[in-house]
Parts: sequence; C-alpha cells; structure tokens
Amino acid sequence: MSEEAVDVLIVGAGAAGAAFAWSLAETRMNVVCLEQGGWMKPEEYPTAGVDWEMRRLGDFGMSPNSRGRKEDYPVNDSESPISISNFNAVGGSTILYAAHFPRFHPGDFKTKTLDGVGDDWPVDYAQLAPYYDVNARMMGVAGLAGDPANPHHDFPLPPVPLGKIGETLARGFNKLGWHWWPSDSAIATRDYEGRAKCINLGPCIMGCAQGAKGSTDVTYWPLAVRQGVEVRTQCRVREVTLGANGLADGVVYYDADGVERRQKAEIVVIACNGVGTPRLLLNSVSKEFPDGLANNSGLVGKNLMFHPYAMVNGVFDEPIEGYKGPTGCCLMSQEFYETDLSRGFVRGYTIETLRGNGPVSTALAGLGGDIPWGDDHHREFANRFDRSAGMVVICEDLPEEHNSVTIDTDLVDSDGIPSPKINYKLSENSRKMLDHSVARGTEILEAAGAHNVLSQAPLQPAGWHLMGTARMGTDPAKSVVNEWGRSHDVKNLFIIDGSIFVTAAAVNPTNTIQALTLYIADTIKKNLSNLFD
Amino acid sequence: MSEGTQQSPFSADQRRALVCVLDRIIPPSADAKMPGAGELGLADHIEQVLRKTPDLLSTITDGLEAADERAAGSGEKAFERLPDSERSRVLAELSTTHPGFLPSLIFHTYVGYYQHPTVVAALGMETHPPYPTGFPMEPGDLTLLDGVKQRTQMYRDA
Repeated sequence: MSEEAVDVLIVGAGAAGAAFAWSLAETRMNVVCLEQGGWMKPEEYPTAGVDWEMRRLGDFGMSPNSRGRKEDYPVNDSESPISISNFNAVGGSTILYAAHFPRFHPGDFKTKTLDGVGDDWPVDYAQLAPYYDVNARMMGVAGLAGDPANPHHDFPLPPVPLGKIGETLARGFNKLGWHWWPSDSAIATRDYEGRAKCINLGPCIMGCAQGAKGSTDVTYWPLAVRQGVEVRTQCRVREVTLGANGLADGVVYYDADGVERRQKAEIVVIACNGVGTPRLLLNSVSKEFPDGLANNSGLVGKNLMFHPYAMVNGVFDEPIEGYKGPTGCCLMSQEFYETDLSRGFVRGYTIETLRGNGPVSTALAGLGGDIPWGDDHHREFANRFDRSAGMVVICEDLPEEHNSVTIDTDLVDSDGIPSPKINYKLSENSRKMLDHSVARGTEILEAAGAHNVLSQAPLQPAGWHLMGTARMGTDPAKSVVNEWGRSHDVKNLFIIDGSIFVTAAAVNPTNTIQALTLYIADTIKKNLSNLFD
Repeated sequence: MSEGTQQSPFSADQRRALVCVLDRIIPPSADAKMPGAGELGLADHIEQVLRKTPDLLSTITDGLEAADERAAGSGEKAFERLPDSERSRVLAELSTTHPGFLPSLIFHTYVGYYQHPTVVAALGMETHPPYPTGFPMEPGDLTLLDGVKQRTQMYRDA
C-alpha cells in the first residue's frame, strides 16, 4: 500500500481537506487523506452526560496543550497574548467550532485598494460567490436573506431561534439604531440531508451529539468516502518529500502504532490550518529547500493572523433561558465592520451575541468573587444563573511579518516531530479596535437592560482562527502559493487552508476557507491536463 | 470494587471536618430549597476527585487538620463544634496559611454541587443531560428586524 503512489494525497481531514476530497472524488482519481486524529463518536460528546459542562476543561477543551488527547501536538504559544485553539480529528476544528458561518464582504478581498492596508487578494468575492453557495448547500447553512450588511445570498435552512436572550439583545441594538441580523449558522434547523434537526442542546463548542451542526465528519466526509476517498486516521505526517524532478513525491508519516511509513503521491495537498501547515513545511527541509519546503519567498510561517476577540457580558434582572440554543449562533451586528477612520482605527469588527451558561459554568465564572462561598452564595448565584449573557467581538487582524509560526527548538509531539512556536504581538490598530468594541458592547448591553457589565480584551484562549502563514498571490517573491493555491516553488504542491489567506476580514473564516478550497479544487479539475506547467 | 466501596482517603475526623467545611462553602439556603454541600453528600464527590488527582490529597488533608487545630485553639475539640460564624472565620484564616486548600475545595465543590441531580432539579431544570431530549425553542420575533431591513447597503462594493 505505502509504496504505491496515489493520485492525490491530502494532509488533514478538517474543513478544507473534507471539501477538497469531496470535490475531487468525482474525478475518480485515487484520493487518500492522512489525518492524525480519528473518527469522533457523537453519542460520546459531553452533552450526553451529566458532567457535560466540565468536559470543556478536559478532553473537549480548546487548547491542544491541556486537552490530553494522544492525537494532539503541543504548541508553544507562550510568546503570544492569544493562545492556540484547535481540534484534531476527522472534521478537524469543525468538531468544536461554534458554526457561526458568515461570508467575507467584497471589500475584504481589496483592503489595499480600499484602505491602503494589508494586500489585495488574487481572487475576489464574485469569483468565490458560487462556491459559497455550494458550500451552504453542503454544510447546511441556516440564515435569513436580506441582510443590508452583506451581498444578497439565500439559505437552504431557516435561521436559528433568537430565543429570549436574542430578542432582549435585539431590542438593545434597536434602541441604539444599530445593525443586527440573525447569524448565518452551519446548523440544521430542520432535518437536512440525513442530519437530524437542531434540538438546542447548547454547547455546540463541545461537539454536537445530535449531529445537527455542520462539522465535516457529518457533511462532506461521508459523501467523499462513499465515492471512494480513503481516510487514513491516526496518521501524523512528519514531512513532505521532494523528488529528483523538483516535485513533491509524497510524505513520511507515523501510523497509529508510531511506525514510520511512506506514502508516495502525484499531487500533495496540505490542509493542516494556519499553524499546522507552516509547521509541516518548515519541518520539510531538503538540499533544495533548506529553509523549509516551498519557502523561496521566506514567507512560510510569516504574517500569522488571529482574530483578536473581546468578550463583554452583563447581568439581566429576568431569566433569559440562556442555556438553551446554539451557544455561539444567535445574532450578529456589522454596524462597525467597514472602515471609518474617525473611530481611530482602520478596518472593523463583527459583534456576535452569545447565549448563557449552565449552572456549573455560571458558578465557576463567579469564582473571582461574584459568587462567593458562604452565606451570600445562593443569593449571588441566583442573581447570575440564567441571567448572564453577552457577546464576543471579532476584530480584523492585519498581516504583519513579525507575527509568525516557527519551529520550536525543544518541544516535540509524541512522535518526536518538532512543534510550532508562536510569536505574536497585538498591533496598536487592534488594541484601539478592541477598546472601541468593548465600549460599544457595553452600550448595547446597557440598552438591553443589563447591569454589572464586564469585559475581557483580548480574550486569551481565542486563537481559533489561524490565517496568513502561506499567503496566496501572483508574485512569487511576495507569496507562497498562486491564485489557485499552487506553490510557486513546487508545482504539484497545493495549500488549501487558512494559511493562504491574504487578509483576515472580521468574520469566522471557515466558510471562506471552504469556498476557497472548492474554487481551488475546481481550478485543478479544469487544468488537469497541464497542471504542472 | 465499585467506587462507592473504595476506602476513603480521609480519617474519620478529617471526613467529619470536610462535611462541615463543605456546608460552609455552600450552606443550606435560608428557604431550605437548596441543600448545603455537606449534607448533600459532596464529600463523596471530593473523594472521587482526589482519587483522580492524588497530588491534591495532602493539600486538602493538611487544611482539614489545620481547621481542627484552630478550633482547638478556640477552646473547641473540633471544627465541627464551632458555630457557623467561627467556621467562616477559621476558613478565612486558612486562606493565608494554607493558600491551596480553600480555592481547590471551592472549585470542586461548585462543580459537584451544580451537577448534582437534587440541585439541578431545585434550579428548575431537567435532571438528565441535554442530549437526547434537548430544549424546545420558538423562532423568535423577527418583526424586531423591520427597522434594520429599511437600511440601505452597508457594505462597500469592490
């Protein structure tokens, strides 16, 4: 098996790898995907047990450094105010994501032209729009058409319920005259394509036991596998190897038993996210590429972008039924999305309202003193349980070369593969944007009737969105891959995850990662006869 | 051997002190709707935690013994003999002399208490996990969007 070359080898079975595999499956090429995690069992997700809230601090935590799963690799993020969050499994980080599924705005692809910052992308909204539509159908996106903050797009499913908290916050937005709209959500609000409808379990961010959330293990992958794509799990890739002809000729990986294997391939596709992808490339050193594969530009690992997050929460006088409904999907506001320099910063942010917490999370959130031990405990708990809610604010980060992923000189994973190290500093522009967003978030909550408003900015464990570390572009000196994801340096090597983003926008990136992946896959299919020219 | 029949990591005196400490961390509510953490039996939960995190055992047992010692200094034989106000005072003092004791115990007490079926029911929630029944929800009042729908295009063409 391992000595025979496959046509297409995908590394990583997350959001991008799944969409790519499904798209390529129709070609009947021999497609194999190597994934360091395994298939999840939704019936074992936390909401199926009484200790569901606590597992967020354990095996369903966001940080690979504390989660304790064998398939995780450690990340040195000690030099960053934002720590890395991810998940390693078939489905990747979509297993834990909130499924908030907005699109980029047209202007997000032209920040240099419009605002003189970042760079313009080599693709634009119009090119990706058909692929956003396909992705909406494949992932099962719920929403409401007609949002004045976004180009018109339709939805296969009706929006998630606002709930009492959504209506309460909506009235706050309305009082201020500010934009809001039901969130675009990759959540089956009706039975959809074999997925049971959402039953409002609450914590989508610990996996969806119902299978209603659009994680790629229940959307793209079953279809891709049915069409012949092989997913090889518990296989961790160490390096991409280079043949004598200057093309990638396969990978070296460790299987579930830690045995070193080799898989040859005609085309290698990397989909390991904005940290895992540069790690793999930088670990793939050869005589031709002493600084890492496909790194003639020197930009592999550079320009790391997160979305700096703020969180603003308040306490309401009445119960808000906050533990019901998708945690991260309710309504969003893009009142402050487009550039207005009078605010003191360039670019902007999206506000995404959150629902509330269960009893354990409420109590633990009060450990700092809001819910004391002793005689006042019950009174203060009652004041907060089912009465606390708020929002996160997702700020656009701008590409800066000093924000980077490198290889740590000491840290290795369980197979001995060197781990990534994050060097990241929050920019002055992001700092001003966060401050502005906290002030506006406080206004919204107070207008909605909340008191005791508290905030955190930047939110430390919020490194969910990993972008920019192998950026796309037409100039090989200023980018790692071309306008359809192909390495400038290695003609049969493609990158399809958030690494290739040129800028970050101010929305969750998964929808755009997948639309871009589908676009790249289609371009490959159209150019099969001269793919390596 | 089941977890319930495993030997306690505490001596009888330590266990008695633990129950009293738990009842001080979360006492019964004045209206008696919410039980105290000690009377609820959360000492068993703490024992389970310590079996999984044995490194924490000495922090807890040292704190419990110190609580009894301080009670003796007050002229009582044990922490359990102190009135509530004195128990609170002793625990507050231990925050300085045994800094890991109370925060650890509070954390695990909060966790055990608020996932206990008796407490969950007292909060008015179903006692089973969210899955598979879930929660019914109405779509919500989308007429609240009427004003927003009147706005002109907010995004820039590019």
